[in-house]
Amino acid sequence: MRNVWIMGKRELAAYFSSAVAYVAITVFLVVVGVKFFIIDGFFKTGEASLRSFFELVPLFFVFYLPAITMRSIAEEKRQGTFELLATLPISDSEIVLGKYLGAVGFLAVTLAVTLVYPLGLALLGDPDWGAILGGYIGLLFLGAALLAAGIMASTWTQSQIVSYILGTLIGAIFFFTERLVRLFWETARDAVAYVSFDSHYSNFVRGVLDTRDILFFVAITALFLVVATFSLNSRRWK
Amino acid sequence: MGEAKSVPVIQVEALEKRYGEIHAVKGVTFEIKKGEIVGFLGPNGAGKSTCLKAITCYLAPTSGAIKIAGMDVQESPREVRRKFGYLPENAPLYHDMIAYDYLRFVGELRGLSGKDLEQRIAHVASKVAIAQVLGQTVGTLSKGYRQRVCLAQALIHDPEILILDEPTVGLDPNQVVEIRSLIKELGKDRTVILSTHILHEVLATCDRIIIIHKGLIVADGTPRELLERFTSNPPVLLRIALPEGDGSEIMAKLQAQEWVERALSRPAGIAGEFEVEVQGREGGDHRTRLVELVGREGWSLLEIRREMLDLEGLFRKLTQE
Repeated sequence: MRNVWIMGKRELAAYFSSAVAYVAITVFLVVVGVKFFIIDGFFKTGEASLRSFFELVPLFFVFYLPAITMRSIAEEKRQGTFELLATLPISDSEIVLGKYLGAVGFLAVTLAVTLVYPLGLALLGDPDWGAILGGYIGLLFLGAALLAAGIMASTWTQSQIVSYILGTLIGAIFFFTERLVRLFWETARDAVAYVSFDSHYSNFVRGVLDTRDILFFVAITALFLVVATFSLNSRRWK
Repeated sequence: MGEAKSVPVIQVEALEKRYGEIHAVKGVTFEIKKGEIVGFLGPNGAGKSTCLKAITCYLAPTSGAIKIAGMDVQESPREVRRKFGYLPENAPLYHDMIAYDYLRFVGELRGLSGKDLEQRIAHVASKVAIAQVLGQTVGTLSKGYRQRVCLAQALIHDPEILILDEPTVGLDPNQVVEIRSLIKELGKDRTVILSTHILHEVLATCDRIIIIHKGLIVADGTPRELLERFTSNPPVLLRIALPEGDGSEIMAKLQAQEWVERALSRPAGIAGEFEVEVQGREGGDHRTRLVELVGREGWSLLEIRREMLDLEGLFRKLTQE
């Protein structure tokens, strides 16, 4: 556990040691802000609600979060630093968990910055705090699952680009499949909804904290991280 | 020390590694005793790095067993990793990290913390002479300094064993000399295994050479042992003062000796001197006989030496086909 913490700390520091983190967070805030305030006309609707924010951010996450994780292991492999890391007394699962912890830390910082929106809202009116809290918890779980997918993709390649594309693809499959299937095949909808990020996430936004939704995200995150660990371990296969 | 020296700290038995179709290491067996500085020498692609990657338990061998300090590498990778410090090829570091923070990070993963860790960082930084660049970002350092930072990382937990993969590749000649003397210094109180494709590196730093070629060990011993084993009965070179004449008289006398297989005159390069290479028949050192002969004949001897095949030649001979 100590090793995971040490790794996570370094990862988080690495994100913020370059300009990339600040640019990424700024882009995130601007894009979400523009869509939320200008395109969706927050001020015109006259409603003290973050509903459109919570609809928009998950879409953005599908493309944004793989960019956060694309370097994590792919770049270590390319630079050869992975070999040094892997010969320290740390297990592959600790490496994966540490990398993951750092990425989740970055996500937490990004989400913390967006707290300006609900706080601003509180000045203008009386928002539904239950829905907002639920929405944030939902974003955290959803983001954590997408990051795990990104870390997993990052273990498969030495190329950041490939890592980004695979990470996005996996996220998109879990996120958009339900909407697609709904268009063509009504009867399969329930089955697909069961493994869809979107349907589980939407419960959080309605302010409903259901253990089934939480378990779903925890399970899928764990699955991605286990696959990532196996993938790192595969170099030791005879 | 005498007794402790004989304990093998690294035991490699019938190590084999295949990468798919490529048979990189084809059954390598050796032992390294405590306190030895061993050079793994071989041309590029001979399988040196693969051996080191297996010893450091980065890769699993296809077959064979590796023990470090008596522990099997596959069975207890974590304990084994505590025993050694590793400098991989090209000193891979996180370029956007400050050198000090990097050493801290590795030290923490090595189980150090607090005052201990700070003392160790200060100690290794002064040992490898990087104290003045600890505050710099790794990416801004010269290649020589990066190599040293990576070496500092390998030493942070004061390991008994130091494993160095091509430690001087890409350095300028001054840096190479510095790193080599550093390795020699570090080898005084620990076991060192280093890989290189440069013969001089091994001669400058190592007590023992393991020459590896196409995944097999082709020679193993001290530089002296290797030379003796591979060049028995070397020719003897004589240089004799000869103010006039073409030396045919000398040649005739030499060829007349029953213990001389053949004598060949060689260009002496200096007027008034005559040089001849004498190849004796098998068995024994012919230098004393030659000196006696020279004395009997009243030749004035300028120089006599055995023509050992140098290690460069040996290395080429062993790793050519």
